[in-house]
Amino acid sequence: MATFTVPRVVPSPAEDAAALLKAFQGWGTDEQAVISILAHRDATQRKQIALEYEHKYSESLIQRLQSELSGDFERAVYHWMFDPAERQAVMANAATECIQEEYPVIVEVACTNSSAELVAVKKAYHALYRRSLEEDVAARATGNLRSLLLALVSTYRYDGDDNVDMELARSEAKIVHEAVRNGAAAGGHEELIRVVGTRSKAQLRATFGCFKDEHRGSVTKALPRGDDPTGYPRALRKAVRCVADPSKYFAKVLRNATRESAGTDEDSLTRVVVMHAEKDDMGAICAAFQKRASCTLEQAIAKETSGDYRSFLLALLGS
Amino acid sequence: MQQFLTQTGSNSSAATSPPASPQPRLRQQQAPRKERDPQNKEKEAPPAAMADEHQDLTRAFAGLGGLGVDETALVSALGRWRRQPEKRAQFRRGFLGFFSASAGAVAGIERCEDEYLLHLQAEFARFKDAAVLWAMHPWERDARWAHHVLHKAHPPQVLVEVACTRAADDLLGARRAYQALYHRSLEEDVAYRVRDANASLLVGLVSAYRYEGACVSEDLATEEAKALAAAVRSAPAAATKLVQNEQVVRVLATRSKPQLRATFRIYMELHGKPLEEDLAAEPCLREAVKCLDSPPKYFSEVISRAFSDDADRQAKAALTRVLVSRADTDMEDIKDAYARQYGAKLADAVAKNTHGHYKDALLAIIGK
Repeated sequence: MATFTVPRVVPSPAEDAAALLKAFQGWGTDEQAVISILAHRDATQRKQIALEYEHKYSESLIQRLQSELSGDFERAVYHWMFDPAERQAVMANAATECIQEEYPVIVEVACTNSSAELVAVKKAYHALYRRSLEEDVAARATGNLRSLLLALVSTYRYDGDDNVDMELARSEAKIVHEAVRNGAAAGGHEELIRVVGTRSKAQLRATFGCFKDEHRGSVTKALPRGDDPTGYPRALRKAVRCVADPSKYFAKVLRNATRESAGTDEDSLTRVVVMHAEKDDMGAICAAFQKRASCTLEQAIAKETSGDYRSFLLALLGS
Repeated sequence: MQQFLTQTGSNSSAATSPPASPQPRLRQQQAPRKERDPQNKEKEAPPAAMADEHQDLTRAFAGLGGLGVDETALVSALGRWRRQPEKRAQFRRGFLGFFSASAGAVAGIERCEDEYLLHLQAEFARFKDAAVLWAMHPWERDARWAHHVLHKAHPPQVLVEVACTRAADDLLGARRAYQALYHRSLEEDVAYRVRDANASLLVGLVSAYRYEGACVSEDLATEEAKALAAAVRSAPAAATKLVQNEQVVRVLATRSKPQLRATFRIYMELHGKPLEEDLAAEPCLREAVKCLDSPPKYFSEVISRAFSDDADRQAKAALTRVLVSRADTDMEDIKDAYARQYGAKLADAVAKNTHGHYKDALLAIIGK
């Protein structure tokens, strides 16, 4: 379930807009006021506030926020203002700009949304950038990475779990095994991309299950850690993990982002928390995080971040 | 199947003398056959009535020389020779190709040829198909056509057509309908069942969710026209076929249609000939380019192919498919394109080449 909270009695958009204006006025910004309003409104309410603000004060709320706030806090609030589909479109677009490093974002958007949600993201992308997401991904990526990303992004998977064919799962587990073993041999990658890129998630989970039964090790462990410069092996592994267990995947991203030794990866932290705070799976992600780490997500964030950025993230997580 | 009316020659002589030996001219072309009718009518010697009757029956029961069945002729034929089974037997004996005395000799009957039964079944079904398809939701139509093509391993023309000529949201709707009907995604089935070189192109086309706006970048179009030209040039020597070329598939499967048309236009300006001409060796690719460039022109070609003499079953079924699926979208453009390309009005061509209720249905769909 979503973790951020909305007060039982919600002030009108006009009241919120006025309160925000008050927070911007004078020396500096009252960040706490901004957080106390925006972190506790859902997507529809945020849109209404933005419209009301623009209508009353003739400037874009998002632009004002961008100028008033700074750093990681500003980036987090900026992304939070959008509705879920637009937000992912914005993140995906930013990722296509430097796709060699940021392809995990594209894999996440493509694999952890339902088919309908992914279409909404693509529609939002059309509206925002007047191009399709597929175009940009295909034009910027190369080689096997391109084939994989394009397949993941274009697909409209069957969402149901009522048509899982165990025979097919067994045969495709074998195909995956051969493709992994033969590696760069012709056809191996194509079959892998075909299976991972078109089958329904339920069918894929069945396939991965059969793989594990047959070969005593999960698919992700079996996938090669090759030195393909395009990042294709890592992307493939991420795709498989996202499909198999999204909560566990995101929990891992969060753990890596909040690791003490390596310094905090604010971009990933912001991305995961802001993207999922209003989705149903945040609760599951927090639980998965706590299972593997020795503390709750809130504690990890409290330790690794500071200031308004920390307050904002914690507010989104409901504390 | 167009061979049967050759029998009219033998029938008129069969009226006066015992059945002449069958003329073994099967698979005769339509043009010579149509000439024979006036010739036979000229031989109007008694019993001309019998010769005429045979001709009428032949024409009614043959159900050929076009598409659909002439129901009125058939009905009047059914009333012929009431309670005169021996006349009907004579008709059967003279109507070789439809009925075979030799095949049924063991049982003492003139046996009905299986091919003829199938042929009549297909012709009768045209009107039913048109009606049912007309009533169906466009998305369900497209989904059923795609499924049929994939599971009967027909040539992928229909897939290319559906993927490239529908608007982005209609293609998405068709994919949703496919999931609802068959519990698998369309791209799953395409990727799994198409195993030849066209697979990556088809999966790409079918998965596309193109930007629908008119925003076009001339620079990008020039760049991609050059990339396509390079791919075409290097195709003969390349390890993979042109249809598997990554650049080609990428451009065709992801760019918006206005952008692609700009690219094709610039290709033509740079090389003096349209891209389709350079794709003669790859029919699937060429069809995709044609569909993306100008659906009305492509559709008018499909329609014209359905009327030609050597049209096979798929080519003929395409007539119903095209007219029913485009009735609400670009029928007027198709009519213009047809007139421009073949110098005849589409309605006239349809009226000439189809029969019966099927013809009336198509003319009603086309409109004035």
